[in-house]
Amino acid sequence: MNDFTHSAPTSEDCSASGNNDSGQNRSGYNNSGYNFAYLDEQTKRMIRRALLKAVAIPGYQVPFGGREMPMPYGWGTGGMQLTASILGADDVLKVIDQGADDTTNAVSIRSFFERVAGVETTTETARASVIQTRHRIPEKTLSNDQILVFQVPIPEPLRFIEPSEEETRVMHALEEYGVMHVKLYEDIARHGHIATTYAYPVKVDGRYVMDPSPIPKFDNPKLHMSEALMLFGAGREKRLYAIPPWTRVESLDFEDHPFEIQAWDEPCAICGATDSYLDEVITDDAGGRMFVCSDTDYCQSRREEVA
Amino acid sequence: MTGTGTRAANVRPRDWPMLDDGVHHSQQLFRQLLSAMSEPGTQQTLAVAELPAGAQLSPAAWAAVLTLCDLDTRLWVEPRLATPGLYEAVAFHTGASITESPADADFALVVPQTLSEVTSFAEGSDAWPDRSTTLIVVTDSLAEGNDWVLSGPGIADCRGLTLSAEAVPLMARLSANLATFPRGLDAFITAGHQLLAVARSTRVEARTEHAARIEEDV
Amino acid sequence: MYVAVKGGEKAIANAHQWMADRRRGDREQPELDVDQIQQQLGLAVDRVMAEASLHDRELAALALKQASGDLVEAVFLLRAYRTTLPRLAETCPLDTGAMHIERRISATFKDVPGGQVLGPTYDYTHRLLDFMLLAEGEVPEADRAEASLEQCPQILDCLNAEGLIEQEVDDGSEPYDITRDPPDFPVDRATRLQMLARGDEGYLLALGYSTQRGYGRNHPFAGEIRQGAVEVEIEVEGFDGPLCIGEIMVTECQMINQFAGSREKAPQFTRGYGLAFGRNERKTMAMALVDRALRAEELGEPIQSPAQQAEFVLAHADSVEASGFVSHLKLPHYVDFQSELELLRRLRREHAARQTAPTTEQAADHPETAGTEEAAQ
Repeated sequence: MNDFTHSAPTSEDCSASGNNDSGQNRSGYNNSGYNFAYLDEQTKRMIRRALLKAVAIPGYQVPFGGREMPMPYGWGTGGMQLTASILGADDVLKVIDQGADDTTNAVSIRSFFERVAGVETTTETARASVIQTRHRIPEKTLSNDQILVFQVPIPEPLRFIEPSEEETRVMHALEEYGVMHVKLYEDIARHGHIATTYAYPVKVDGRYVMDPSPIPKFDNPKLHMSEALMLFGAGREKRLYAIPPWTRVESLDFEDHPFEIQAWDEPCAICGATDSYLDEVITDDAGGRMFVCSDTDYCQSRREEVA
Repeated sequence: MTGTGTRAANVRPRDWPMLDDGVHHSQQLFRQLLSAMSEPGTQQTLAVAELPAGAQLSPAAWAAVLTLCDLDTRLWVEPRLATPGLYEAVAFHTGASITESPADADFALVVPQTLSEVTSFAEGSDAWPDRSTTLIVVTDSLAEGNDWVLSGPGIADCRGLTLSAEAVPLMARLSANLATFPRGLDAFITAGHQLLAVARSTRVEARTEHAARIEEDV
Repeated sequence: MYVAVKGGEKAIANAHQWMADRRRGDREQPELDVDQIQQQLGLAVDRVMAEASLHDRELAALALKQASGDLVEAVFLLRAYRTTLPRLAETCPLDTGAMHIERRISATFKDVPGGQVLGPTYDYTHRLLDFMLLAEGEVPEADRAEASLEQCPQILDCLNAEGLIEQEVDDGSEPYDITRDPPDFPVDRATRLQMLARGDEGYLLALGYSTQRGYGRNHPFAGEIRQGAVEVEIEVEGFDGPLCIGEIMVTECQMINQFAGSREKAPQFTRGYGLAFGRNERKTMAMALVDRALRAEELGEPIQSPAQQAEFVLAHADSVEASGFVSHLKLPHYVDFQSELELLRRLRREHAARQTAPTTEQAADHPETAGTEEAAQ
């Protein structure tokens, strides 16, 4: 097929250039009236170029021309733009929020991609080729043929110490991360512990300090030498970054206060897991509570194994 | 424009292959490029039609151009690769502009030897390391082997590579990334339909004495 | 009880259906049509167009209808639509000097070439509720001038002749496009103006107001405010000169501010600039005040007030970004909250353990504290 055709519905384009959009082949369109996976091809290419840079410079926040998505900023627009840019017709997509597939945000994003990309979706971690997540990393170890896309609210790990972007950019350039250690140490002085329990800063491949998104620090060890590619998208702040597979990721700590993860005194009340992150569910108004797996697929699959 | 080709003078832009479709084919190719850059040294086979006779590019390099370039990108082309009709084909298929200045290029189509002649590709700055030129290298052959040993992000332990002897200036340049990181050059290295990547975060070591000796010369 | 968090899909669908029903309201009432909104809520339409950065009155009216009149929501709807549109051409700079004037006033001169033209305005109305409108009284048509207005020169150009006001010079550089690339701070004035032009009116109004109350005071005069239709032109290959592709209504405000000068340079008035789609006078005035405040560094003024801090002002001006991030607090955060709970309980346990520990140890650790406690007892 050597003939160049303009077949996009909106194309009145006077230019004769293939990647000059909207000269896309009609096969990229679907019932929603939007391009496959919503974003136009030029926007996808812009994000794809930025993703390659992100992967080549692990932990560095690459600025990208984030677009408005048809969902509010802060609700996963960064993750969605990344997912839209990598997603193909053969992918199987899983979307989780707080570890669960059926929380409102996850439901909304999953149905968005069902509508605009028509891809197969799943709740099974092992079946998914692309997993978009808010605030958790699945308990089941990810494999090399999976990509995990994180939704990120504030990508800059130094932001709460230094509000100016101009300043934090210089700090990253000079690898000047002393303030972060000072902040963590102030916690220790005050509380006897580092008081950061989620969005716990990490150092990637010994160079960039990075915000792993607001995952509980329980999940931080899963970032280290993961087999799966991890992509991070912050839509409102227009930054994306990445951790390639098999990359060293260390949580910041001190010799006398080593990094440690949360632990619970009791197992999951439903599946009995002792190795998963637990959510607290309040069962009455007299202080009664139970703890259950935050990763609903993990909990479910454990119950099925037992049964 | 330089470059020669007996029949190439009559090559029209539309004789260069386009993607099967602008959406899905480019998505598939991009995922291969992403895999390649995520796991430096692993080979991908890019599905793209053959190039017109006389073209000096590899099909894989052309596929990378089609996947990544558009109106918003500037491309620098090594004169040895700039066969007649290539610039027109780039403009026709991608809309990318051709730049004369390597420092302004988002992408550069090069051969390994280019790296011993041109030193001005953009490496980005410490504050903006992403503002760098990505190399798309056309070479004779790629194979697993142990001339060059890669390690670092994307590589579980280490990964070996064998390239033809002509690749030395390229690999010497890429091994110098380590000293300037996060500034540096990322490269897609192609031969025929094969492609692999070396990221600037990749540690490149010459393993054979032959390669090491040439590396010292460079 | 674990299923309490399940069934999200159905709940969301129901919530949307209920919202659509609420929007429609009492079915006994005729449904608002988009034309009515366009015609009769024109200033709301203009504000939505300005902050969405898309000039399309019909779609702005549709967005207002769909959003039940929520302006911020309507801006978001239109902005999200805008982002899907292909870019077919770039227009030439608008020539507001060639505007077909509908309204044009200056607070700096009693009379000006071309005259003061009040046009349509609420400025001098008595803000008394008009109960005639409640009774659906018909409004008589306005009288129209016999001849249309001549093109009026820009008032600030009149000061140019004497060199009393700084000249804006096009340095020929390509403007940065904030809809394509993320701004990297510090940003130049063209970029700042783009960000202010789509900034939330209420936010700019408050910041502009703060400069008048002394937080970054710059002594503004409303040099000229003009409102009217301007031609939109594009360059097309193969045609001599630009082609007009239509007209849009815009409002422009040029503030004249206190002079700057230096040993080398004679003192001159400085400028603040505001421009917005449609009839958006308050917005453009506020924008001009903030634009001038953000020039503090360039003009060698001390940066002491919020309105002068570019990164602060610009990073928080966009209502779509701001409302998104504030509203995201409604999303579940129980994983992170659980993390905080776990830590807080641990800290409190340790605190309690310290409290009940033998006083001798405490006294050894903190002799002065222990002493005070004993004294208090």
